[in-house]
Amino acid sequence: MSIKITAGIIAAIFVLSISARLLSPYDPDAIDLDSLREPPSLKHLFGTDNKGRDIMTRVLSGGKISIGISIFAVIISLGIGLLTGLISGYFGGRTDTVLMALVDLVLAFPSLILAIGISVLLPPGIYTVVIAISAVGWASFARVIRGHVLSISRSQFIEAARAVGCGDLRILTIHLLPQCVPLALVMAGMKLGGYILTEAALGFLGLGVQPPTATWGSMISSGRAFLNSAPWMVLSPGLLIALTALCFNLLGDALKEKFDSGPGI
Amino acid sequence: MTFSLMKALPGDPVYTMAGERADPETIEKIRKDIGGDKSVLAQYMGYVAMLAKGDLGRSYYTNRRVLDDILVKAPNTIRLASMAMLIALPCGVMLGLIMALSRKTRTDRILSAVSVFGLSIPVFWSGLVLMFVLSLKLKVLPPSGTGGLKYLVLPALTLALPAMASMSRITRVSVVEILDMPFIRTARAKGIAELRITTAHILRNALIPVVTVAGLDFGSYLSGAVLTETIFGWDGIGRFAMEGIVKRDYPVILGCILITTVSFIMMNFFVDLLYRHIDPRLRTGGNVD
Repeated sequence: MSIKITAGIIAAIFVLSISARLLSPYDPDAIDLDSLREPPSLKHLFGTDNKGRDIMTRVLSGGKISIGISIFAVIISLGIGLLTGLISGYFGGRTDTVLMALVDLVLAFPSLILAIGISVLLPPGIYTVVIAISAVGWASFARVIRGHVLSISRSQFIEAARAVGCGDLRILTIHLLPQCVPLALVMAGMKLGGYILTEAALGFLGLGVQPPTATWGSMISSGRAFLNSAPWMVLSPGLLIALTALCFNLLGDALKEKFDSGPGI
Repeated sequence: MTFSLMKALPGDPVYTMAGERADPETIEKIRKDIGGDKSVLAQYMGYVAMLAKGDLGRSYYTNRRVLDDILVKAPNTIRLASMAMLIALPCGVMLGLIMALSRKTRTDRILSAVSVFGLSIPVFWSGLVLMFVLSLKLKVLPPSGTGGLKYLVLPALTLALPAMASMSRITRVSVVEILDMPFIRTARAKGIAELRITTAHILRNALIPVVTVAGLDFGSYLSGAVLTETIFGWDGIGRFAMEGIVKRDYPVILGCILITTVSFIMMNFFVDLLYRHIDPRLRTGGNVD
């Protein structure tokens, strides 16, 4: 039930943000000096910002980038995490030690600091944000997947597969991988809310996608200076971040309950 | 195991990051004579050599020693983090306990939803909203700056909100687990007052994971304060790092990342020790020597 509702809200936000240019009469980046910092009205439902741009249009088109980046980052983290976790859990021994040392190394960093560090290193842009988020995110996926692989690779069906003469590659891809997918998806759902927040934080710090392109984080950051005179500049992007992250978190919780396989971290 | 891992960690990743960071430095500062003309490896070696002497270099802009600045700002960050913890821990545990004791009722569901919401709000936004309501409209508290308790309340509250949410969730899970244990039923059967069961039996056992998480959270406050400190103009390490990022002041950024990471790892290690101290059951295995 709540899976459907939360997924529906997320889908609605995403579809609206993709079609923002069709739905709205305004261009998200068009500067209009005649309507600077107008409060919300029928003409501009969420008001306008300090350059006269329509905030609703900007919030919606920013959603496309924020949600897109988070989903992209989750897919990459999931991919790397699955691969590392499978290899580490299945082969064990020295491979496991080395890979898990790497995972511990990443997890030892405060995650936001590491993401900031990577964003400073690379030229700013969509891909940098994706790389920064997934470079931090893959480790917890790998850790959980490894644990799961460890627990199921002693099962009889794996032993049976080996007895029939399946190679390592076949066991990994056909027997172990499908067993890990539900867990990985649940985890992805739980992580997405956090990724939305990280993306927004990087945008807020000016390390995300660069202006004039609207992202939720950078809109809040530019609205900060006008907090007293034009609070609506900060209000709507923040509400959307909170709403989206909330839906992803609830979705993750609901998925976790449904599959009843709560990953530790 | 964990001990040796923790011991091995701080040096390595940090130095690697220093090496990586030296790369854009070469490009940007190539004409300046801060060693930008040397190879990346030479810069990296130079930085490591400097670190070994306990020096973090000088800021490109102010030419002050980074370490000195950090030592001035660190107490502010620690003050902020402690205050946030002081708010978050009791409130979070309270909320979690209420949620667990009233589980599967409407109170539990509402509070659970609130706590998920608390986790979903970006701190830099809730901070601005708090600032708008409490200091710009109601004019109760100063909007920003570094100073006494009055200045501390807003950033600490902002920092504490998501922490409170996560702590209440953990407390809830941990209390619910304990509620089903046989010794609670025994205590009830013995006729011990409900209040005493709650405080002495349930809470004491449930607190073990909560304290662990609180410690880890404290470590992450030291770093997560980047956003909060920036918003409220709190003169701590987070804002220092942020200024460094804006100005591309690499020695400052590097120094801050290094310090926060080291303190984060030390905090993790400390929690590890604390964990053994709180839970006597964990002591037997480790104390071979």
